[in-house]
Amino acid sequence: MKKLTLVIVGVLFAWPVMAGEVDETLDAASDGRVDISNIAGSVTVRGWSRDQVEVTGTLGRNVEKLIFERNNNKVTIKVKVPRKSGRGIDSDLHVNVPENSSIDVGAVSADIEVSDVLGEQSLQTVSGDVITAAAADVVAGSVSGDVEVSGDNSDIEAEASTVSGDVTLFRVSGEVSAESVTGDVVVDEGSFDRVDVGTVNGQVLFQSALRKDGKFSAETVNGAVDVEFVGAVSAKVDVDTINGRIRNCFGPDAERISKYGPGWTLNFTSGDGDGRVDISTVNGGINLCSK
Amino acid sequence: MTDVREDKLETAARRLATDISPDRDLWPGIAETIASPRRPRWTPMLAQAAAVVLLIGASSAVTYVAVKGQEGPVVQVAPELLFEQASFGSHNLGPGFQDARNMLAAEFDAELVRLAPEVRDDVEANLKIVRIAIVEISQALEEDPDNVLLQERLLRAYRDELSVLRRVGGLTRNVMMRNDI
Repeated sequence: MKKLTLVIVGVLFAWPVMAGEVDETLDAASDGRVDISNIAGSVTVRGWSRDQVEVTGTLGRNVEKLIFERNNNKVTIKVKVPRKSGRGIDSDLHVNVPENSSIDVGAVSADIEVSDVLGEQSLQTVSGDVITAAAADVVAGSVSGDVEVSGDNSDIEAEASTVSGDVTLFRVSGEVSAESVTGDVVVDEGSFDRVDVGTVNGQVLFQSALRKDGKFSAETVNGAVDVEFVGAVSAKVDVDTINGRIRNCFGPDAERISKYGPGWTLNFTSGDGDGRVDISTVNGGINLCSK
Repeated sequence: MTDVREDKLETAARRLATDISPDRDLWPGIAETIASPRRPRWTPMLAQAAAVVLLIGASSAVTYVAVKGQEGPVVQVAPELLFEQASFGSHNLGPGFQDARNMLAAEFDAELVRLAPEVRDDVEANLKIVRIAIVEISQALEEDPDNVLLQERLLRAYRDELSVLRRVGGLTRNVMMRNDI
């Protein structure tokens, strides 16, 4: 009986956690790092005021184990699956982290959603959406899925990319790089020193401010570019399209690249010309305005 | 061996820039040939080497058909030879670029099979879009070889392809490695 009791107690407190429901907590540094890895399912991360990392959720029936461990300032959460894993590995993780933590989330077939985390974020998935609210530098990427980054207009460096999907940045300020292959790139209500946005098949929509000495670049292959600078622009402006028209509400009119061939170009200096605005498409119209 | 190979790939991938300004260490040969004011002298041999590349095929085994101008034989080339006969004038993109691309493509192919079928189809469809863009820009550049905008766009399109190869291969590999405890 004593042996049976010991076995039962051992199973109950055994690490790592086996497949099924999970509800575990570890003490953590208030501004440490949390690495999360989940092959399939979902990962939801929320910042909170406690100096603890809490993991709740469900593990797939064929998951080998959940690794949940701390090493000094770093907490690691990994869903371990068999090498030749097939079905039954979908795991939904809800992770609460100290709000000043930096996080690194990696997934393959999983959505990633983050809120109230004030530290740096690296969020990567292959198939799934990435949605985050960022208060510090963020790298967010998917291959097949949308990427959405919202901010509070504090200056950060944001890098958002996907292959198939839309990229949206809302109230992000500072420096931004956003790209897609098939999908739109939208940047709204921000204020920037540097903008580098582009897509192959899709539109670029930009409605934000470009600061003094700011550098702006927008490119598509097949798709329109619609840029509305909030406030005055002081920059050297170069706009080109091979097939498509250029419409601008400030500066001179666009001119044909060649009298006998396709293509339009618009080159002028706005204000003191201390910044740069470069916009180009191969097949697509360009709208440029400053309000 | 796997670690050595992965280190090599990482080193090669890290050398590749994914933003608009290319890493000069990787692109000097390309930039130099593009910036060259030389106008190609069209001989039959060079004309064949400077063939317009047309992308066909819908599966992961893509076949490229090189067409010599308005006339001449249709030559089928394997994907790995695409950049030997690419697109602007008689210039190729240089061994450094090709080595890096081949390494990334091999890693990409290995990782692609690990993806769910619908994701794999999605990735392949998008890579095809990038490659079609390369072809279309190349075709335009053939007609207007001194067009700087097209030259820049072509470089960008090649970088987009490398970016897709690296990101897909890297993402899957990194997450898988993190689960190998």
